[in-house]
Amino acid sequence: MRNLHRLLGQSKKPYFRSVQQPSRAATTSPLSNDQQTNVETLRKIYSNSVDVVFRSFLIGGKTQATLIYIEGLSDTEEINTNLLRPLMEEFEEGLSLRQLFEKKVNISKIDALSTYEDCVEALSVGKPVLFHEGDSSGYALGLNRWDKRAIEEPEAEAGIRGPREGFTETISVSTAQLRRIIKSPALKIEPVKIGSYTQTQVLISYVEGIVDKNILEEVRTRLSRIEIDGVLESSYVEEMIEDNPFSPFPQVKTTERPDTACNAILEGRVAILTEGTPFVLIVPTTLFSLLQSQEDYYQRFLISTLIRWLRYTFVTLSMLLPSLYVAILTFHLEMVPTSLLITMSASRESVPFPALVEALLMEVTFEVLREAGVRLPKQVGAAVSIVGALVIGQAAVQAGIVSAPMVIVVAITGIASFMVPRYNIGIAFRILRFPVMFLAGALGLLGIMLGLIAILIHLCNLRSFGIPYLSPIAPFRSADLKDVAMRAPWWMMNTRPHQTEEEFNQYRQAPAQKPGPDRNK
Amino acid sequence: MIEKGKISGMQMGFMMYPTVVSTAILMVPSVTEKYAHNDLWISTLLASLVGFISMYIAYQLHRLYPNQTVIQYSVHIIPRLAGKVLGLLFLFFYLHSTGAVVREYADFISDAFLPQTPMIFIASSLLLLSAFSVRYGVESVARSAFIFTIIFAFPVIFLLLLIPDLTPGNILPVMEHGILPSLRGAIVPQSWFSEFFMISFFLPFLSDIRKGRKWGLISVFAAMISLTTINLTILLLFGDRVSGMSYPVLNAFRYIRMGVFFENFEAIIMAIWILGNFVKVSVFYYSASLGLAQWLNLKDIKPVVLPLGILIIIFAYWSLPSFQDVTYYLTGTFAYYGPLMQTIIPACLLSIAFVRRKRPSSS
Repeated sequence: MRNLHRLLGQSKKPYFRSVQQPSRAATTSPLSNDQQTNVETLRKIYSNSVDVVFRSFLIGGKTQATLIYIEGLSDTEEINTNLLRPLMEEFEEGLSLRQLFEKKVNISKIDALSTYEDCVEALSVGKPVLFHEGDSSGYALGLNRWDKRAIEEPEAEAGIRGPREGFTETISVSTAQLRRIIKSPALKIEPVKIGSYTQTQVLISYVEGIVDKNILEEVRTRLSRIEIDGVLESSYVEEMIEDNPFSPFPQVKTTERPDTACNAILEGRVAILTEGTPFVLIVPTTLFSLLQSQEDYYQRFLISTLIRWLRYTFVTLSMLLPSLYVAILTFHLEMVPTSLLITMSASRESVPFPALVEALLMEVTFEVLREAGVRLPKQVGAAVSIVGALVIGQAAVQAGIVSAPMVIVVAITGIASFMVPRYNIGIAFRILRFPVMFLAGALGLLGIMLGLIAILIHLCNLRSFGIPYLSPIAPFRSADLKDVAMRAPWWMMNTRPHQTEEEFNQYRQAPAQKPGPDRNK
Repeated sequence: MIEKGKISGMQMGFMMYPTVVSTAILMVPSVTEKYAHNDLWISTLLASLVGFISMYIAYQLHRLYPNQTVIQYSVHIIPRLAGKVLGLLFLFFYLHSTGAVVREYADFISDAFLPQTPMIFIASSLLLLSAFSVRYGVESVARSAFIFTIIFAFPVIFLLLLIPDLTPGNILPVMEHGILPSLRGAIVPQSWFSEFFMISFFLPFLSDIRKGRKWGLISVFAAMISLTTINLTILLLFGDRVSGMSYPVLNAFRYIRMGVFFENFEAIIMAIWILGNFVKVSVFYYSASLGLAQWLNLKDIKPVVLPLGILIIIFAYWSLPSFQDVTYYLTGTFAYYGPLMQTIIPACLLSIAFVRRKRPSSS
């Protein structure tokens, strides 16, 4: 077990830490009085970095000053017109620098810095830092601007009705999107820095008064425990804060839609935004919330309810259908209606493989096709679908490799697995399909049942931030079934879903709002 | 406290229902028919009385000794050493019964569906899954039981498809030979109903004890209704042909066909029945493990679970070497053994406890 830890890189040896943060010690010291020393130290910190610009100039032709910024992160036009020009040309005699800033420099945000660490932090987010003779502090100027992607419709979570905007990689845009939806000051956004090299900004966002305090505290502790050198995507954070890392079921919901995030926040969950990725984590999450699509709330409740039932059925089928086929063909032939049995036997006659091998062959091929399609450039994608239709289709049947019913089973399974609204929960069912298939091949329906029992026991004991994964079914809470067994109309969704045993802010709206012509009489 | 989990009264009720019904449903119709003939449905009604009594005893004992199971309070009610011996008896009883349940399950599956699979594999695969659940504690057992019971109760709907085939005349004449045959027929099913005493192992973990009583009663009542309905259906369907069948319920499900194309339900019924049986095994297994952990004053249930599992397998094979022994045990021995351990001894404990409570100075 100890060796395993070492392999997984969870070594607790101290050398890890000393390698991790070499430059920290040098940077925590306070700035010196001498402008030249400060600049030299920063030059040393940013040695061999061609993108860091050190611009020396004289304020008003007299006072020595240096402006430092990183190319591409700061707005050079603004620097020229609003900083350098006023300082160099519009200088008036008798003004101290501070007065100069107040009178001449029209920049909305200027912070005084006292340590090298502050300087580095300001520079790294794109704020130019200004030093000048005779002042022991530096000034960070709010002129950061870098190129960012425009807000687009999220492709992985498309819908027919509902907002079309998605999060982007820029975290300040994401927070603004949340704030635009939830305008109340009760929406809190707390910062955490993760990653000793990337210094990635991670934000905990929730609505005060709705969120469960214990869950929030748990989120804070788990995030603060992370020590990692870089966070490139929110999945780094996700894997570090999960309850059961070995479970095939995701315990965190990810979304790139602000409306989904806000819906979760309003239910009392916590959203975790990560800089540099449009994917926002939502905790705690349950199996059923992963099986819900945001659009369920935007379509009328009747169709949403029916679609949920259809989804539950087909999600189960996507896991079980190949196994059922294998089990019935291997052990329980008597269940097949006679006329169907005859055609099935006829088509299987030329197939040399037992049902299990046939099913495995086809399912693996399907997974390969799907995975090949995901990562291919669009131009090549068409080729995959043409070849795919051959491999899983009539050609395979005619070649005598698989039987026609098997092709249909694989096709239905494939379509069923696309009913899963979220990619990460679909993975769990895709993985589990295979062990259940083996069980079905070995023990028939008994094997499928044993597999199901094992999965359900696991689910009964899985938790996401302390919340039982199968709630509200086990443990049973009838009040929360309105958003699980069906999608109740909004005028019936009076209570929020229950998170913990603690007292919570239960009601989200006034009762008895059923509309109708007689309502206000 | 060994167990930190809390369950709700409803979960307990949902746990107890298949604990009694899942195996009873297989054996009871043919056994009761043997004695009561066409009054077999009265037998289950009478037998349920034992269920209510056992549950009442467990509940009263729990009120006297809250937060304790029968293993714990038996040392308080009677002298310590005697109490420990009684605890051991209970442990033995539950180990033995779990073994019998597992054996019955394995027999049924291998007899009806997988004749070529080694029976020990069928038995141990289910037991391993139960161990997996029991190790997680009472919450795991209760939550999985809740889901499985819902699915387990589902095939009742299929029975409705039998309505056109029923012959109501089979019920007549009612009580042709008085109540005695029905009473004799009740001897075997009442041993299943005595298993309701097992709520004693779960009452201490209830978050709301009053709901526990309510759901306990609902559970007994539901078991009574289900078994009576099954018996009645079988009687109306087969009449006096029941006596030749070993699993009449299975025969009944074989009878069902939906439309012209969907028939031979029994594989599905078997699959669903496994769920009920799983609940039964895990409830028994959990009780035995918890009891042993408490008897040994352990802090945790986990160390005893797997060793007990091996013991259960051994009990399943040593005490019941053949299918005939299983039938004899279930219809002969257990009819007295079960109620003795789960109704009569607890009743004695309760009366002693009452007497001692009336005269607290003597203790």
